[in-house]
Amino acid sequence: MHISFLIFSAYGMGGTVRTTFNLAQALAEQHEVEVVSVFRYRDKPFFEPGNGVRLRSLVDMRRHRPGYQGDDPEHALPATVFPAADGNYKQHSALTDRLIGEHLATTEADVVIGTRPGLNVHVARQTRRGPVRLGQEHLTLATHSARLKRVLRSNYPRLDAVTTVTEADARDYRKHMWLPGVHVQSLPNSVPEPAVSPADGSGKWVVAAGRLAPAKRYDVLVRAFAEVVSERPDWGLRIYGHGREEGKLRKLIDELGLYNHVFLMGSANPIEAEWVKGAICAVTSSLESFGMTIVEAMRCGLPVVATDCPHGPKEIIRDGEDGLLVPTGDVRAISGALLRLIDDEGLRTRMGKAALTASARFDPAEVAARYEELLTSLVNHRPGAVHRARGNLLGGAYAAKDRIRQGVSHALEGARS
Amino acid sequence: MIQEHLGTPPRAVPAPAPHRAGAPAARRIDHARADCTADSRGGLAFAVRLFDETAADVPAHEAPESAAVLLRLRQQHGPDATVRLPLARAEAGETLHATLAGTALLREGRWDAHLDLGDEELLRLLPGMNDLRSLAAGATFPAHAWLGVRIPYTTKHGNLSVRAWLRRPHAEAGALHLADGVMELHGTFHGVRLDTTAHLEARPRDAAAAPVRVPVRPDTEEHPGQATAPDDGPEGRHPVRGFTTELPLDALLSFGGVWDLWLRPAENEEPVRVARILDDVLNKKRVFSYPAQQVTDGDGTAHPVRPYYTVNNNLSVEVG
Repeated sequence: MHISFLIFSAYGMGGTVRTTFNLAQALAEQHEVEVVSVFRYRDKPFFEPGNGVRLRSLVDMRRHRPGYQGDDPEHALPATVFPAADGNYKQHSALTDRLIGEHLATTEADVVIGTRPGLNVHVARQTRRGPVRLGQEHLTLATHSARLKRVLRSNYPRLDAVTTVTEADARDYRKHMWLPGVHVQSLPNSVPEPAVSPADGSGKWVVAAGRLAPAKRYDVLVRAFAEVVSERPDWGLRIYGHGREEGKLRKLIDELGLYNHVFLMGSANPIEAEWVKGAICAVTSSLESFGMTIVEAMRCGLPVVATDCPHGPKEIIRDGEDGLLVPTGDVRAISGALLRLIDDEGLRTRMGKAALTASARFDPAEVAARYEELLTSLVNHRPGAVHRARGNLLGGAYAAKDRIRQGVSHALEGARS
Repeated sequence: MIQEHLGTPPRAVPAPAPHRAGAPAARRIDHARADCTADSRGGLAFAVRLFDETAADVPAHEAPESAAVLLRLRQQHGPDATVRLPLARAEAGETLHATLAGTALLREGRWDAHLDLGDEELLRLLPGMNDLRSLAAGATFPAHAWLGVRIPYTTKHGNLSVRAWLRRPHAEAGALHLADGVMELHGTFHGVRLDTTAHLEARPRDAAAAPVRVPVRPDTEEHPGQATAPDDGPEGRHPVRGFTTELPLDALLSFGGVWDLWLRPAENEEPVRVARILDDVLNKKRVFSYPAQQVTDGDGTAHPVRPYYTVNNNLSVEVG
């Protein structure tokens, strides 16, 4: 098969880039794989795309290059295909609409895979007749705005398949979006086997990693760790990552007098080298679309204490076997779970080993094999004109309905103002 | 539209068939990457992988027998500013191996890592995976006559360098508490016995103000926390002793600027700089951060006073 990924920028350092490259590289062992990056901001990608993966870009945004397209007048005109409801709308333009459209109209791929809602809309509307059209959801339906959901509803019927990263999100898609003939399946993100040997559980560090963003609730973790320190002052907490919560967290650490025990470490790459210094990983988010750091830590042999937040953690961790799930936002429960593992070295080691074994199912080879199975069946049972025509009709019907609803709500807003 | 191939596989690439006799010369080695592992005895192992200009692996056996890792102390010259570590080929391995022994002396500073292939030009080594877990719990190696760690890191230009510390005697800072205008510091002193005349000296940087001295109390029993160390090393030749000292911050208000902290183990001994150099954290400045204390002077004016680690991981106090 010839498989073509469409991504916003393959040159960034986000989770979508990493997981796309992991999957692309694993698929490239058997198939012809390309990653098409809408934008190119740097000479070299931050992550390596992997052996055998062809990388190309559509719009050159490197100012120092003669081919720089950022000042193209067409790039100043607003996009009409890329939906305004997608958070990346501002970066898109009439130029990106046209170049993505030309790429999709002429692609020789058997399968085209979009990697975010706006690009999935392009794939749904502009891919030439023939290739299988697949839209990946890397976030969740539940966290999209009502406006974006309406856009997806009217366009996704023209896809052949939608993949989510959790079963919970797949259920949401099946329940809240009527997508007849569109195959909805959850396929997790993949994490390769680390290039360092796993942790042996002898360290005295609890490790957390991720953007210092409000949804990660590191404030809850720091408060929970204050309770840990009062019982086990020989243990410490290291939090890796940067973000806008940094100042607030620093202040909280100082207020609680934890500056000898809790450390904001900044970013680390590769992070695996930091996981293996730890004995336990902590994730206290209020929301995790998937939970990449949970899998990363498990692949390094750490048991994870995680909040049972939507959507990912409970699909990754088997509570009490390879990690512990605790109620979201519950400081007491989090410190209790950490202390349970800190105080019981046997349990900690056992769970670490179980985590190492269980997380092998997220290996790129395993996930790619599941993708391959899905893609093969889609290509072999390529839905004919019937489904597509119905998709177009259905999309149109939804769009009409949504326009009416929008009109009504606008009218109501008008009445209120 | 820009098209290009970007195959930069660090691993998992089948090695090409070995060259037959009479085959053209070995491919040019374009760049090399080193994974560094700190061992439990203070040594640092380098595993070097070679690549050609297309970023494809070059088999280890294509490197000359004389290949070595060359460490050069930045901006320094002389016989002790270069260390050569011969590279050995592992059996049928893709990598070359060299080790900086824990017992080898490495002057304090930043050492740039190069690959020496025996020709004129040295190749700057690129960083790989650094496994420093053996340092994360506190790195003291009783067999050594010196204190310090060697931490491989990536320079701002993306190359591999090694930051080395080398001290003896040494005053390692540990837990630090700030309350009621007093800085209480716990630490461990290595290499010379602390006696009853031991004291901490705060010295104003670039100023004529008089140093401030406060007594240092050696611990009578084992030091709590991660800095725990045995009372004495083997045969008592490497004495290690925990200590506590309390510095009233208002004593530093005579000079608004930076005060460097030194520890004098006994009245007739040389003072040593207080530092935190025995773990895996390269830059302490941002990671070990302490809240500023508001200290009021005789006129009733409040000044922010804050301990911090310098770029060399030495402990100082800033008076605002």
